[in-house]
Amino acid sequence: MAASRPLVSVYDEKGQSTGKSVLLPAVFRAPIRTDIVNFVHDQMRRNKRQAHAVSTKAGEQTSAESWGTGRAVARIPRVRGGGTHRSGQGAFGNMCRGGRMYAPLKVWRKWHRKINLKQRRYALVSAIAASGVPSLVLAKGHSIETVPEIPLVLSDKIQDLKKTKEAVALLRKVGAWSDILKVYASKHTRAGKGKMRNRRTVMKRGPVVIYDKDNGVKKAFRNIPGVSLLCVERLNLLRLAPGGHVGRFVIWTESAFKKLDSLYGTWSKKSQLKADFNLPQPMMTNSDLGRLLKAFEIQSVLRAPIKRQARRKIKKNPLKNISLMSRLNPYAAVQKRATLLKSLKGRRTGTTAETKVAARKLRTHESIRAKRLSGVNLVKKTKTQKVGSTTTKTTTTTTKVSTKSS
Amino acid sequence: MQHDDVIWSVLNGQFCSYKQQKSKTQIFCANEYNLTGLCDRRSCPLANSQYATVREEKGILYLYMKVVERSHYPKKQWEKVKLHESYIRALKQINEHLIYWPRFVRHKCKQRLTKLTQYIIRTRRLMLKKTAKQELVPIKKKAERRETRHEEKAFVAANIDRAIENELLDRLKKGTYGDTYTFPVNAISLDEEDDESESEDEKEEEEEGENEQESEEEVEYVEDFDESDAEDMEDMGDDDVDEELIKALPPSKKRRMEIEYESVEIPVRGAERAGVIYCYATRNSPDDEWHVDKLEFKASNQPERYLFYDRELRRKSK
Repeated sequence: MAASRPLVSVYDEKGQSTGKSVLLPAVFRAPIRTDIVNFVHDQMRRNKRQAHAVSTKAGEQTSAESWGTGRAVARIPRVRGGGTHRSGQGAFGNMCRGGRMYAPLKVWRKWHRKINLKQRRYALVSAIAASGVPSLVLAKGHSIETVPEIPLVLSDKIQDLKKTKEAVALLRKVGAWSDILKVYASKHTRAGKGKMRNRRTVMKRGPVVIYDKDNGVKKAFRNIPGVSLLCVERLNLLRLAPGGHVGRFVIWTESAFKKLDSLYGTWSKKSQLKADFNLPQPMMTNSDLGRLLKAFEIQSVLRAPIKRQARRKIKKNPLKNISLMSRLNPYAAVQKRATLLKSLKGRRTGTTAETKVAARKLRTHESIRAKRLSGVNLVKKTKTQKVGSTTTKTTTTTTKVSTKSS
Repeated sequence: MQHDDVIWSVLNGQFCSYKQQKSKTQIFCANEYNLTGLCDRRSCPLANSQYATVREEKGILYLYMKVVERSHYPKKQWEKVKLHESYIRALKQINEHLIYWPRFVRHKCKQRLTKLTQYIIRTRRLMLKKTAKQELVPIKKKAERRETRHEEKAFVAANIDRAIENELLDRLKKGTYGDTYTFPVNAISLDEEDDESESEDEKEEEEEGENEQESEEEVEYVEDFDESDAEDMEDMGDDDVDEELIKALPPSKKRRMEIEYESVEIPVRGAERAGVIYCYATRNSPDDEWHVDKLEFKASNQPERYLFYDRELRRKSK
């Protein structure tokens, strides 16, 4: 199910590793569902709201009546009477000066939200898991470059700290002070009306210190800007994923860290402290998609990738496309060449009278021969001679030749 | 569940503090270890457990490498290797260290190395130029305005005209003008504002040497006493006087002291260089003359001060 569970070393107040190490709780291997965290955070944030509304009487404390039509004024209700500026002014409408607002706010608005227990727990579990991924903590904006290990687990002696001075010294030794410096740098005056509503300064969030037993931790750390304190048994999503974004920098105490397994369970064992709860099942047991796709088990089942797809061929006309024609009928090329040469033949030698006569003779001989062969009656052409006044026709006849063979 | 793909889907989809989308077409990454500077699946140093970069620190290039095994120890995460000064050797080094690494990372590291070496060469060239040695300081308008106003006020407060007048009358009283002017002595009022005038006198004697005296002797005045003429003479040293006066205390305070000590800075300019003469003078009482104790010269380019006149030494030599 989960990936291997490594050992996390415990650090003392001086930032040195004590010999001890704790097995990483299964929570840190839970699926990180930012969508659930965002939704639950959004819903949870509404629960601290205080009701506010506009007075029900506001804008209604007039006996105004519309003047109706025919008075060359707009038809909104106007204040009755006279002798004051107010008389004749518009009243009641949201567009009127001194009128009631549009949809006056009511106290019975739904201020708080119910969230399913499972969802709440899921979100919390995701947030804890995300706090164990250094990249996500960095992306959130915490400066953890000097921290020795993530998740950061400190010995239980921290729970006995009484002085803020000691707490600061601890944070310095452990490498968390740069995050606090960032908080100091981010202090500025709030934009907006919150300034005059006792919410004057705003600053970043620093690390959360999660403890098991409060022997003074709370008081020691609470004055350090940016630091939040949480007891393991009562973890708050609004502190673990401030702004709805996962990955807050968490400092655990050893006993708090050890308690996580019994609080949230491992997949094989249910939670002992929460009623009927076990860690949510992930969608993918192995979420390293890149690696999966390259794995042999998958690659061997896939067909080869189509690098070049053959597309539909356009049919070309061989009668117009010579290369296609010659592919189909190789002799066509020869034929075409011959015709071409023939057409060019006369042109090349040049035509004289003799050649013309010769050409004609050739043609007539050929045609006679052809007709004889085909059995056609041939009659020569008569030469008409003008002898004096009379015209004598001399005809030459040729014998009939019958080609009909028996 | 801490795989790169999961991390990337969170960073890309949800929130990453390093993501900078200043333009509609390009998303940049503000992470200092990023190879390309773009917010990209392949370039993201957070979403790639095996990553390398080339970075420059004070003109030296380093190869930074990150592997999965150290992903949970942020302090030790990046392995830093100093690259060779020679570009070709540095390339070979990169090839060595990133031998079986993905082609993209290797290629981009080399590209980055090239760009950074060019940048370093350019920086070095710029530093050798004269402009690099000069530190360009912006003129602060407000401060300038304030200073000029202070100067004007100090000038007014110093009452130079009065001082000059008193000096002139002093000299007249002493008899430096001899018989050039004839006034009834009673008519002249002598104010006790000798400080500035005295120091001015000293400066004239020591610094300008005999020239001043000669000019004094040369100039002859007409019978009609012209204040303006006399002032013209004094004007030669007037500019310097301004400086002194500004630095000097207001006269009223000096009157009560018995042994007065005054130090004055006189700016000097010559053919070869310019500098400042520091003049230290004392006098026993307001009626007494100023005596110069020490004269030091300091050139404006050099830090040392040269002592060229010391009263005690002079005395001893006598």
